[in-house]
Amino acid sequence: MKQIGLVFNGVWSQYAFATAPKYREIYELVYVHELDHEKIQHLKALVIPFQSNQEALVRRKDALYRFLGDDKKIAVFGDSLPLWLDAQWEDRPVNNYWWVKDPNNPPISETNYEHPVYQGLKPRHACWHIHGVYTRIPENSEVIQRNDKGEIITWQTDRYGGVLFASTLDPIVEHGIQQIRHLDNYVDKLTAWLGGVRPEGAFGVDREAYGIAELPTEASRLALRSG
Amino acid sequence: MLHALVVSNGIVGLNESYVSNELVDYRIEVITADFDPDLSGLDLLIVPNGSDHVAMLKIKDQVAAFLDQGNTVCCFCGWFTNWVPGNQWIHDNRKATKDVFLSVRTDRYGLFDGLDLDKFNYNNGITGWWACGYIKASPGADVVLEDTWHRPIMVLDEMTTNGLMILTASGPVGDYRRRPGNDDGIAGLNQHILQLAAQRKETHETNRIGV
Repeated sequence: MKQIGLVFNGVWSQYAFATAPKYREIYELVYVHELDHEKIQHLKALVIPFQSNQEALVRRKDALYRFLGDDKKIAVFGDSLPLWLDAQWEDRPVNNYWWVKDPNNPPISETNYEHPVYQGLKPRHACWHIHGVYTRIPENSEVIQRNDKGEIITWQTDRYGGVLFASTLDPIVEHGIQQIRHLDNYVDKLTAWLGGVRPEGAFGVDREAYGIAELPTEASRLALRSG
Repeated sequence: MLHALVVSNGIVGLNESYVSNELVDYRIEVITADFDPDLSGLDLLIVPNGSDHVAMLKIKDQVAAFLDQGNTVCCFCGWFTNWVPGNQWIHDNRKATKDVFLSVRTDRYGLFDGLDLDKFNYNNGITGWWACGYIKASPGADVVLEDTWHRPIMVLDEMTTNGLMILTASGPVGDYRRRPGNDDGIAGLNQHILQLAAQRKETHETNRIGV
């Protein structure tokens, strides 16, 4: 049984991540335009990755907060809209070359390494690049990461029942792209925290998963049925 | 004037890369649960980086019909579903992206004329940033760009259908002229692609009048 739903809007990097042999027994693709309570109620946690369709998430807001109300976890990465997440995200230029030009000045300067996702991570593994900042977060939220201006990068709250974790990092999309090769460190910690299972081995690509002629969500359902 | 539809996934920053100008009139259509765009009256369909290939699979037949009418389809994204006629993008991490260097193989329409290939090979000194994986190209299609291992990275295909397909292995293309130094990089490539689509439209219309 898969433990974590990856809210999916048809982007290839999200698909590459969830169909990688290392992760495909843990993550279930949940197509955002089909997301409802029935589709996610069996899952322990949801991940809403960077490059999500924000308007579609607004339309699925009730199902997301009902899921949190069942004492489950949701992790949100990248940008967001205040219409579904009670926080204000603001864009900033993406600096994904700091490690070449200015290696002593990463985009994140402060991290709470006591948080389960960050325990044992080296600073390099806790920060590669960011997509914007949060200028407002819900009251009594816990800030986990900030940049050198004190702006919020990562935070979480339990005010909705379960844990809502949000960060402007983009671990799922970048791990799927595979240009940054150290993201197993972050993503495996995240996966263990969300789903209670730690993935093993290296990230590989199943080339048979490319060129499919049916929706992956349908394929997942068929696989579950036959299993 | 080209009439183009840009498929949008509601991703931040997309609208700024496709602003109508003297050459092209863009219509941006955001994907919803009932995505079923009207392609009539269009010359060009653009599927930009970060697109929804589940939604594209649902309109696979409309795209094929659009191409058979002689129109142009550009996909600048990794299409993991099989909605593109004859060609398939495949992800692959066996080769490190830092070792990817692109070179021009067959460029019969001069899409890279006057462009600086280093703009595609380097970004702030980092290599392998522009494309991912490779394209399993249709027989007869032109491989415009190939990677270090001669795998197709950009394909121009006017053999598989009656139309023109310009495909990249997820390498983004758009009107990035507002970003400094892009005129001989991605923005230049975008202009050349639009000019080719416009020439094709003109030829198509002339032939139709001739008939």
